[in-house]
Amino acid sequence: MSESALLEVRDLDVHFPVRGPGLLRPMLTLRAVDQVSFDVQPGEVLGVVGESGCGKSTLSRALLRLIPTTAGSVRLHGVELTTLDRAAMRPLRRSMQMVFQDPLASLDPRMTVGEIIAEPLKALLPRMGRAEREQRVLRTMQQVGLLPAQINRYPHEFSGGQAQRIGIARALVVEPELVVCDEPVSALDVSIKSQVINLLLDLRAELGLTYIFVAHDLATVRHIADRVMVLYLGRVMEITDRDALYARPLHPYTRLLLSAVPIPDPTIARRRRAAPSRDELPSPLALPSGCAFRTRCPLADARCVAERPILREIDGRYVACHHAEAAAA
Amino acid sequence: MAADALLEVRNLSVRFATGDGPVYAVNDLDLEVRRGEVLGMVGESGSGKSQTWLAVMGLLAKNGRAEGSVCLGGKEILNLPQRALTRLRGDRMAMIFQDPMTAMNPFLTVGRQMTEVLEWHRHLSRREARARCVAALESVHISDAARRLSMYPHEFSGGMRQRVMIATALLTEPELLICDEPTTALDVTVQAQILALLDELRQRFGTAIVLVTHDLGVIAQLADRVTVMYAGRQVEQAEVHSLYGAYRHPYTEGLLRSVPRLDEPRSARLATIPGRPPDLASRPAGCPFEPRCAYVTEICRQQMPPLVSVGDAHLRACHYDGALGRLEPDA
Repeated sequence: MSESALLEVRDLDVHFPVRGPGLLRPMLTLRAVDQVSFDVQPGEVLGVVGESGCGKSTLSRALLRLIPTTAGSVRLHGVELTTLDRAAMRPLRRSMQMVFQDPLASLDPRMTVGEIIAEPLKALLPRMGRAEREQRVLRTMQQVGLLPAQINRYPHEFSGGQAQRIGIARALVVEPELVVCDEPVSALDVSIKSQVINLLLDLRAELGLTYIFVAHDLATVRHIADRVMVLYLGRVMEITDRDALYARPLHPYTRLLLSAVPIPDPTIARRRRAAPSRDELPSPLALPSGCAFRTRCPLADARCVAERPILREIDGRYVACHHAEAAAA
Repeated sequence: MAADALLEVRNLSVRFATGDGPVYAVNDLDLEVRRGEVLGMVGESGSGKSQTWLAVMGLLAKNGRAEGSVCLGGKEILNLPQRALTRLRGDRMAMIFQDPMTAMNPFLTVGRQMTEVLEWHRHLSRREARARCVAALESVHISDAARRLSMYPHEFSGGMRQRVMIATALLTEPELLICDEPTTALDVTVQAQILALLDELRQRFGTAIVLVTHDLGVIAQLADRVTVMYAGRQVEQAEVHSLYGAYRHPYTEGLLRSVPRLDEPRSARLATIPGRPPDLASRPAGCPFEPRCAYVTEICRQQMPPLVSVGDAHLRACHYDGALGRLEPDA
């Protein structure tokens, strides 16, 4: 695709060996991420959505090499990451950072806020002097809305929203280009969530950041993302510009997801209360043949059983569905 | 008081003794649940929404104390002796929780856990109980019910476990089913299934349902009436359409305006409620929402606003009398 991409992911596989059920407990392969390809352009926010087990968290960890990949390619500015060893990976870690879901669980309770935020600097920029490091920590704290006086406090003294600000500061202190946010607001209360979403958008504008924003909440992703990738059982179902995806989803799974989002308006909520699908997610250890979504899909036919749909372009959008033309028409 | 009230809560307060002094989780709560209705209770963590219903069920933690009055069908049930409570719970009223896995015994089959309820409350034989359990699982749309009874909780998906919990809760045909964040741990497609199921059961059996959640979208789908909790107090209570269409409390406005919504055009920035929820160990003289409120006046700092009628079965606790609508996306 384009030469300007910040991140290029091609045919990425992340497989885990797991013991199957039964007496012999045979070794099976869990395909958590299965043939995933996409680009991230500098300055954009790519939303990644899907239900639990769709591989969205595994994918975000694999991109940052926090877990090993099985096959495929991840390139940052054209540099292949999957073959780098730890030492060669280190300088690149400055460019890619991560914000986690549960802020309190991802912060060391025995370290002060200042120590937590300074830690990536010590690891990734070891030659930076002490005074400069402290300046950088204070500046980052201010950027995320923490007070300088809070530098010697401990994580447990902070509420969830404030703790997430610490997690964001820890990611930003090394001045990364790409920040992978894995459900960064899911654990926060309603009244705090909007504060943190606004902060992430402000920081993006101020610092020219690129985000991969992983979330299960489609309304939040619509608010924050420029493009959206929909995953199902480790596979890409659809990648499309935000407005097109929400206005006219082409993949039946995207339509199912959108129809299930609760709307905080009783009139609309009751009108769209249609019979929801009763089928459940198939086991990721025994994926259906052909299209992974076919067991829950109202459009499934013999071709969907026989042939796995590839991600293909329709009207400038990418969809993996044999019946996408019907939806596009 | 309404003639069709099934549960009446009067002046309920819940207090916890902690090492740092008392925590006031629920304060002077008055509400009722009518027969066959769905009452939605919305609030954030620490708003007292769960503790209210744990107190009603007699399930408070050991350091918790409930005062006031709770009547079920006209009979006082708050702080009943353990024996009487055990007879009531799971019989005339039942409760399901966010995480069904923690509410089930992982070492017992689903069938054993379900039949136990009927053996205990209805003195049925194991065999009769089993037949009733199969019927109950079928009523929550679990296929192959007889075989599933011999499975263990971990063999079910999250959505199926919640169905099993609902089936178990309904075995004794309770008049009141309390659902505390029943779909919070579930995916949206499964959430939609569980909400549709609750609605169907309410219509079939006439069970009154209390739906406790932080999600205004979930409430909008199912509730007839809604009450909004903040800092252990009810701040607004209304019929569902008037709460969403004509809310009268600044906090309700904040909750509704600050969530990203798929039914509205996308805005560049979200409106926010500034600050954060109060510490429940302190008891301010004034309105607990005052430090975060866009409409604050002098009296708000001095006097707790009482929950009063503003017409049409609409109650709210707020001193401010003017129009809302000041909460815009901040610059």
